[in-house]
Amino acid sequence: MSRLSGRLAFFPAILLVYAILLIPIVIVIATSFTVQSAPTLPTDGVSLEWYAELFQNQRLLDAMVVSTIVASATAVVAGIIGTITAFGFVRSEFKMKETLATIMLLPLMISPVITGVAFLRFGGYLQIPRGYPQIILAHSILALPFVFLIVRSRLLTFDERLEDASMIMGANRLETTFNVTIPVIAPAMIAGMLIAFVISFGEFTATQFLVTPSTTTVPIIIFNQIQTGLSPEISALATTLVVIMVIVSILGDWIGS
Amino acid sequence: MLEVKNLTKYYGDLLAVDDVSFRIEEGKFATLLGPSGCGKSTTLHAIAGLIDASSGSVHLRGKDVSDVPPYERNIGLVFQHSALFPHMTVEENLRYGLKMQGFDGDHEAQIEKYLEMVQMLDHADHKPDELSGGQQRRISFARALVYEPDILLLDEPLTGLDRVLREDMRNEIRAIQQEVDVTTLHVTHDQSEALSMSDDVIVMSEGKKEQAGAPAELYDEPATEFVAEFLGQSTKFQGQLAETSSPVVQTESTEIHVGDDTDSSQVDPDDVSVYVRPEEIDVHQAARTNGNINVFTGSISHIEYLGHRAELEVDLDDGTTVTAFSRTSQELAVGDDVTVQFDPDEVIVL
Amino acid sequence: MKFGIGNVRLPNVKPPSMLRDRSMPKLLVMIGLGWLSLFFIIPVIVLLFESFNFGDGALLDNYRQALSGTYVRTLGRTLAYAFVTTVVCLILGYWISYYIAFKAEHKTLMLAFVLLPLWIAIIIRYFGVSLFFLPTGPVQQLFGTDFGILFSTTGTIIGLTSALLPFATLPIYNALQSIDEEYIHASQVLGATPLKTLRTVIFPLSLSGIIAGALFVYILAAGSFLAPAILGGPGDFMMANIIEQSFSYSIPLAAALSVVFTVALLILIGIFNHYANISEVLSDL
Repeated sequence: MSRLSGRLAFFPAILLVYAILLIPIVIVIATSFTVQSAPTLPTDGVSLEWYAELFQNQRLLDAMVVSTIVASATAVVAGIIGTITAFGFVRSEFKMKETLATIMLLPLMISPVITGVAFLRFGGYLQIPRGYPQIILAHSILALPFVFLIVRSRLLTFDERLEDASMIMGANRLETTFNVTIPVIAPAMIAGMLIAFVISFGEFTATQFLVTPSTTTVPIIIFNQIQTGLSPEISALATTLVVIMVIVSILGDWIGS
Repeated sequence: MLEVKNLTKYYGDLLAVDDVSFRIEEGKFATLLGPSGCGKSTTLHAIAGLIDASSGSVHLRGKDVSDVPPYERNIGLVFQHSALFPHMTVEENLRYGLKMQGFDGDHEAQIEKYLEMVQMLDHADHKPDELSGGQQRRISFARALVYEPDILLLDEPLTGLDRVLREDMRNEIRAIQQEVDVTTLHVTHDQSEALSMSDDVIVMSEGKKEQAGAPAELYDEPATEFVAEFLGQSTKFQGQLAETSSPVVQTESTEIHVGDDTDSSQVDPDDVSVYVRPEEIDVHQAARTNGNINVFTGSISHIEYLGHRAELEVDLDDGTTVTAFSRTSQELAVGDDVTVQFDPDEVIVL
Repeated sequence: MKFGIGNVRLPNVKPPSMLRDRSMPKLLVMIGLGWLSLFFIIPVIVLLFESFNFGDGALLDNYRQALSGTYVRTLGRTLAYAFVTTVVCLILGYWISYYIAFKAEHKTLMLAFVLLPLWIAIIIRYFGVSLFFLPTGPVQQLFGTDFGILFSTTGTIIGLTSALLPFATLPIYNALQSIDEEYIHASQVLGATPLKTLRTVIFPLSLSGIIAGALFVYILAAGSFLAPAILGGPGDFMMANIIEQSFSYSIPLAAALSVVFTVALLILIGIFNHYANISEVLSDL
């Protein structure tokens, strides 16, 4: 009885929290099915016309391809660099280790606007080609701390005797790394890479400085459309993105466990 | 054959292994025994090549392997808690060593033979985390032996198993070792494990080798106080050696007759320790002697029944407490006045 | 899952000493820090140089501008909005975490729904918030008014809260979850009221989670560009928006604003780091 009333007392708060968290997502998905020409809730019928429109809009489809390429490349680059760094930090002792580990997290702490501006200027000086190279490098920096943290926490619980066992069994250090270490930490590495993919796929703030007409990503298109006028097509596009990201997250969860 | 010569290992300023030498003959089962932190694991890891010794050398089958990396030493190692590769099946765990060592011969037959030997043939396709602790140890043994290493190292392989399983596994390990006929070095802190399994035992303490020998030799004739106290139970008396007609150790409150062959050339006459094993002590209710010279009276202060026998603690009249075994058929109770006696030739004098 | 098709067996040559050497991990650290330096730290330092005026006038001219009226007000507004968002997120996050950790029956499911939004691009979530209050959205359809929320400070804060609430909830939940229930029972057995148990036992033990959540939310809120851009009015611009805007007409000014903003934030983080180790806090993530 008291347990039940105790739980009832929480209901308004729970409702509020889940409303704040989930209504924005639900409403985007719902309005993508409207029959109106404005993004209203589909109270007077459901249609897929905005999806049809979406898949005829070459610009959007191009952006989808660009985003996928960028996110995949970011996942690979951030995945490799993040894993290498985490490995180094866990397996060595040196002065200022904690401070340097905190520095690895700096891209999390500095506004992506500044990262974007700084990278654009620097990329210009260094003549890093505009478009894919700049966007991918910038995204890999933004995603790096996440991969680093995830792989590091897995490595901290890695049983180093597995490596000893491998070496005793005749594998040298490099063979051991490929046959034992990497396969064992692979789930964490892949989970980190999926997070990097998701971060890159949704990144807007830094990306807005770096895109070119031929390498415009989906979030940039969504932002521009929000600014210029509302069409349910944005909802359809956003919903497509949600579906992709949820699939990726489920994949990540499955591999991580 | 394995030979370790003057092995020394420093960790920074800390001396972990101090000039340890020993030798294990081909096909023998030897155990490095000592309390935790005595340097036995460090010694094992140096033999395996997983750590570099500060000085000294390791010889396998007559060849100095001190500078050979672990993956070229052809060693089998069974780790504490198995250390099976979690991402490989049982079969793949075994195959890995065959492949990496470049084993000539039929890999399939080899895997089957060794899984059969540890009675795990049914589990070849399982992942390690699907197996019980005991099963994992078995696989770990098969994995270490499958590529027929020159020497097998066991690093406290039974840690974490329950007592009954440990005792079963001891016999099994010994049987497999004899079947395969592989020179084996086992590391443990468990004295009963060491005594029951080994041809030879090397006792270590604080980085140093205390004594090496057959289990019975170590038990009956310990060379140092550490070995006497670490192996088995005993009652200790301390005092000075008095040279009378027959040797006597004079303690603060009593005197103990010791074997006729005891003389001051073997021990420091001013600081002599006498150890009496519990099974050498007779405890009787009646004041009757059986011809021994060492006869004391006291009362029973504690009885612990161990099934087939009982462990007694007897407070002697001079205040010393002795530990003795008695058959449980003997009707003794706490508080009983008893006579305690033991043969001077059966005591250990150090 | 099975990784690796077969085992790699390398030809029997000695690998380069670098790869056998035990100093290899340090080399890996250097690769990571080198990468970060090249593509992040050096660009930021270059930006720092660009903030100085090497032409006519004083070296710090851009800073004089960056620290004048509007811009300082924007900095103050940014830090204030981030503060309000943090407080709201902590209250809501603690509430829901407490419920999930101690009362809920379907913990995993409830937690999954809190974390789900993290996988969805932030721009989509802000877009959803705006759809909710737009003339075409349910609020105006039902009430005929958006209560002045859209394109206002309230709208911005609601958006930031919606976007960042999971970052507050996750560490608080982790902290609450790891509290040994024995302590709570002990407190109850000793006669403490539930409120007193919360105040004297649960709250102090969950403080690390609260600190971590506060840090996440504050940093992310302060650096937000999209919330004011999509949900705020012209008077709700935060530092990220001002930097983006000034970038199109004066790069040195944008650089100076970036430096001022970063320094202000790093000072706050530095004060924070003095009380709680950030590296440890962030590994709660």
